[in-house]
Formats: sequence, C-alpha cells, structure tokens
Amino acid sequence: MQTSPVRTADGSASGRQDGSFVTDARDRTGLRDTLSILGVWLLLIIATTVVRPDFLSTQTLLAVTFTMSISGILAVAQALVVISGGLLDLSLPVSLTLSAWATVTALNNDLPTWAAIFIGILSGAAWGALNGLIVVFGKLNPIIVTLAMGFGGLAVLLLLFLSAQIPSDSDLRRFGLGRFLGLPNVFWPMVIVIVVAGLALSFTRWGRRLKAVGGNPQAARTRGISLPKTRFFVFVGAGAVAGLAGLCFAAVNPSFTPASGADFQLNVIAAVILAGISLSGGKGNLLLLLLSVGFLSTIPTSIAFFGLAPGWSLVLQGALLILAVGIDGYRLKRSAR
Amino acid sequence: MTAPALPTVEVSPVSWGRRLIEKFNGPVGSIGVTLVATLVIGLAMAGPMFVSPSNINIVGVSVAVPLIVAVMASFALLAGVVDLSIGSMVGFGAVIFNQLVAIGMNAWLVAAITIVVGVLVGLINALVIVGYGAEPLAVTLGMLTLLRGLSHVIVVNAPPSTLIEPLYDVTQGSIGGFPTLLLIGVGVTLIAAGVVSKTRIGRKIQAVGGDDRAATRAGISASKVRVTALVLSSVGAAIGGILYVGQLGSASNSLGFGLEFQIYAALMIGGYSITRGGVGNPIGGLLGLLVVAGITNILNIQFFDPDYLDVIVAVILLVAVLLDRVRGGDSFE
Repeated sequence: MQTSPVRTADGSASGRQDGSFVTDARDRTGLRDTLSILGVWLLLIIATTVVRPDFLSTQTLLAVTFTMSISGILAVAQALVVISGGLLDLSLPVSLTLSAWATVTALNNDLPTWAAIFIGILSGAAWGALNGLIVVFGKLNPIIVTLAMGFGGLAVLLLLFLSAQIPSDSDLRRFGLGRFLGLPNVFWPMVIVIVVAGLALSFTRWGRRLKAVGGNPQAARTRGISLPKTRFFVFVGAGAVAGLAGLCFAAVNPSFTPASGADFQLNVIAAVILAGISLSGGKGNLLLLLLSVGFLSTIPTSIAFFGLAPGWSLVLQGALLILAVGIDGYRLKRSAR
Repeated sequence: MTAPALPTVEVSPVSWGRRLIEKFNGPVGSIGVTLVATLVIGLAMAGPMFVSPSNINIVGVSVAVPLIVAVMASFALLAGVVDLSIGSMVGFGAVIFNQLVAIGMNAWLVAAITIVVGVLVGLINALVIVGYGAEPLAVTLGMLTLLRGLSHVIVVNAPPSTLIEPLYDVTQGSIGGFPTLLLIGVGVTLIAAGVVSKTRIGRKIQAVGGDDRAATRAGISASKVRVTALVLSSVGAAIGGILYVGQLGSASNSLGFGLEFQIYAALMIGGYSITRGGVGNPIGGLLGLLVVAGITNILNIQFFDPDYLDVIVAVILLVAVLLDRVRGGDSFE
C-alpha cells in the first residue's frame, strides 16, 4: 500500500528521469514494435498466400497455433527471467522435459491426473529452485549457472530415461488430442498464461517488484525489495511455467526423448528478444511476446508451403534475430545520444 | 581476501605453505591443480594405461581441433564479447569445404574461400555488435541459428566423402611420436599466450575487455579491437571446420553442434569469463580442455555412461566460476 509514495521518492533520489516521460517513450516504442511485428507477420502471410493460395486454411491455422502453444508458454517463462534482470535461463528445456517425464511416469504408475499434473509442475519448479539457489547463494551469473545446469541437466535426464510414452488412454493425452473453439486444446493454456502473467506484471505489486529489480537493482534494494528473494522466486516461477509447458508437451507427443526439449531453446530466446524484451532487464510487453511467438511459429509452415528445405526456417529465424537486436541496439544508441 | 588490503600487517615470516597456496591462487594455478587431480584420478582408476603413449595420443587428437577453435574464440572473450556462433561456424566451414572439394575444386582455393567466409561471418557479427551496439549473446545466437540452417540447406542427406592428401597428413600424421595436429594446437596456444601477455596488441585487447571506457580514454580504439577479435574467433572456427574434414573425411550438417558449449565450459574452467572481458590466458584454456578431455577419457576407459561427463563438467564449471568469484570476480546480485 505504501509502495507508491516510497517509489516516487526513491525515483527522484536516484536521479532518474521524470517517471511519466519514460513511460510515454516506452509506450510509443511499444506501439511501434507491435505494429512492426504485426506488419512483418502479415507480410509473411500475404507473401505465402500469393505463392500458394491454399496456405490460408484451417490446416495452417492448426499447425501454427499448435507450434505456438508450447513455445509460447516457455517464452513466458524466459521473459519473466529476462524482465527481472536474471539475464537468461538456459536450462528451461530441462525443466520442461523433467516435468513431462515426471508427469508421464506418474500417469504410467496409475496416479490420478491431478496428481500427475501437480507432480509435473512441481518438478519443473524444483529444477528452477535449484538454479535459483545456486545463483543466489553462489552470487553467480545466471547465464553461466543455467548453461552448466542445462547441459548437466540434460545428461541427468539421459541417465534417467531414454524415451517416455504417455499412456494413450489417459485424460491428459485425450486433452492433448482435442480441440476447443476450433483450435488445439493446448493453445488455450498458453493464452491464459500470457494474459495472466501480462496482467500480473503490470498490475500487481509482485509484477512491479519484478520489473523494478530488473530495471535498477540498486534502487530496488534501497526501496526495501530483497534481491536474493526476488531472484530465487523468479527462477522458481519460471521453472513452474516451464513445467506447465512440459505438461502440454507430454500431452501432445505420444513419445519423447530427453533431448526433445532442447529444440525449443533458440526459438524461445529469439521470440523474447524479437518482442523487444531487452536482456538488460526491466521492460517487456507480453502481448508483443504473443505476436512474436506467433510470427516465429508461422515461419516453418510458410517455408514448407514455399517448397523450401526446412533448414531455411532456421536461416530466416537467425537472420531475423540478428536484424531485431541490431535495430534495437541502434535505437538505444541513438536515443542515448 | 583481506590480505591485499593489509599488506604491512602480514609482512613478517610468510610460511612456505601460504606462499604455495598463493602460487595456486591464480586462475591458471587452480586449473593446473585440477588437471593434476584428473591425472591422479585417471591413474588410480585406469592404472598405468592412462598415461600410455597410445592413450595420450587419443586424448591429444581429440583435443586438438577444439583447442585451436577455443584459442581463437578466447580473443573475443578477452575483448569482452562472446561469440556463440563458433560451433555452427565450425560446422558451416566444414560443410562448404567438404562440398566444394567434393565437386572437384582445388583444395587450397576452397580452403581460402572457407576462411573468407569465416572473415565475412565475423564482420557481420562485428557490424551488428560493434556498429549497432547490440547484445553479443543475442547476435551470435542468431548467427548460430542462421549458419546451422545454412548447413542443413546445403547438406540434406548423406554428405560426400573427401580425401585431401596434404590435409590428411596434417590431421593423421605425427612428428616425433606426437600427433601433428596436437603440436599445431599447442603451438597456436603458445603463440596466442605470448601475444596476450607480451605484446601491445594483447594488452590492448585486455584493456578493452576489462574496461572499454578507460581503454578508449587511453587512446585505444575499442571498436577496432572488438572487430578484430570477432573476426579472429570466426576465422578460427572456419579453420577448425577444415581440420575436422581432414579428421573425419566428411562433414554432416550437424557437425560442431553444441561445440560452443563444450569450448566455453572448458575456457571458463580455465579461467576465462563469458560475462566480463580482460581475464584469462590461452594456457588456462588449454589446461581446461585437457581436464575435460581427460575426464572423457577416464569415462571411456572405464566404460562409464558418457552422460556422466556432462554432469561432472557442469559441476567443475560451477566450482570454477565460484572460485573465480571468491577470488574477486564479478558477483551477481
């Protein structure tokens, strides 16, 4: 309740610019980013449709929304880490696969669905907590910690299992195969996650703290926010969200290997950066994240319709990422002048 | 940690034990200790066979190409920019080299083309990172994806096999009982170590990596140094790709996948930092790679599941960065 007066007092004390001005500028770049991603996305859709009129079909819509669902949830997890100034969590695929494996194992042992879901999300969160503990107590850079935990974790998963199958008669599997409002069922948890996380970031004290820690850790600390606690819970939260992605992953894939989760890594980081969520932390718009996930998820389908080798979609995604960070860096440089 | 702050108080008889500890306090010292520990564990678990010439040859050959790539990439780390695209560049370089040689072009010409491609990739990275001031991690991650994609576009099915005589002599031959490739790798490391610690260029790179503003005020062009470092890193990867073709006789589209993680883990174990420049020495990088290769070898000899390697390397990496932090490296809050 008393956060807002303290915040303004602190803002002026730390010599930052007038708050309203900063927000204004950010909103405008937000709008411009939104329009540019929407524009490029539309351009891609139009170009593909001109070459192949049958691109605009229910099949395409299903394929794109299907691709969006798991990367979208994972992108929210990554975005939370990045916005809070935690740089990057490179071990999210481990959280995802660990959760998927735990869920499937629970189901195979005849545990009820709710228990399996609980176990899945919990194991994702537990992996996040392990990362968070090392980062907080070791005071180590999260990129290095999660890099090590990423390849070490993958190895642990490989020692745990070689391939996992979800029971085909389970409720979770039926959920994974079903559709709601014409779109795959797994698409909707993603929408809910993005909306809830987006609203929470903007309108709750928790969200404001997270942004404050990411934007200016020193100021946040003088305001009485505990940095270690925030960092720790961000990693736990991101792990739990990745665990949810793991549930959806287990639901839609009849079988998977420990390495399956790694395929999402680059795509998810690309989506976060393309959405203008800077690695320096403190800012981020999850609506924009939804758009960038959608855009990136359309690329593989478009490439297939153009009749190009699947490798081209990697080329395009890489080039787009370089372009996006280049433009972002250029803009920051110019505004700093 | 208080010792440097209070030098006068602790002047009187410094025990030799303390002096010994201080010797090992540097990054290269502690990685040296780790290497000795690896050797001892190897001897204990595998017996004298661990240090037999044939086994040392196996380790040496496996470490040589990553070593050359790592030493060249370490210049970028030293200058304060991370180049994540090296693994994909190794793969892409190998793929172009292998494919062009397979269609009958002159191997020397193709090698030159591959190196030029390496320079171009480095320049593109440099343009976006140095020119536009973009985040190196993000840019080179994009380059990693792009180059991997190109390799997949060029090589769809089984790649052709090639045999290039002069290259084969380098990658498979030996001089005085040591694998030629390893000798080249160690030579490159020593030259790089000399450049870093003894020359003006090396000091410039360290200055820019340590504090680019101070370096700029001292009249060093930070952008020029970083562009050079990024180009060196990318060219090193291209050369690594060519050497891999010599070693393997072919280049699949997944060659070099994940190599950047192995290399940076080894470099960080050897005392480099991927989050701040200006620290580390190529010798430390060599020792770091040897530790990883030594552990791999122990696991191979003992028929352990190779997956344990990554778990062990991850733990060593975390301990290494923790040690670096305790020693006065950047702490993250």
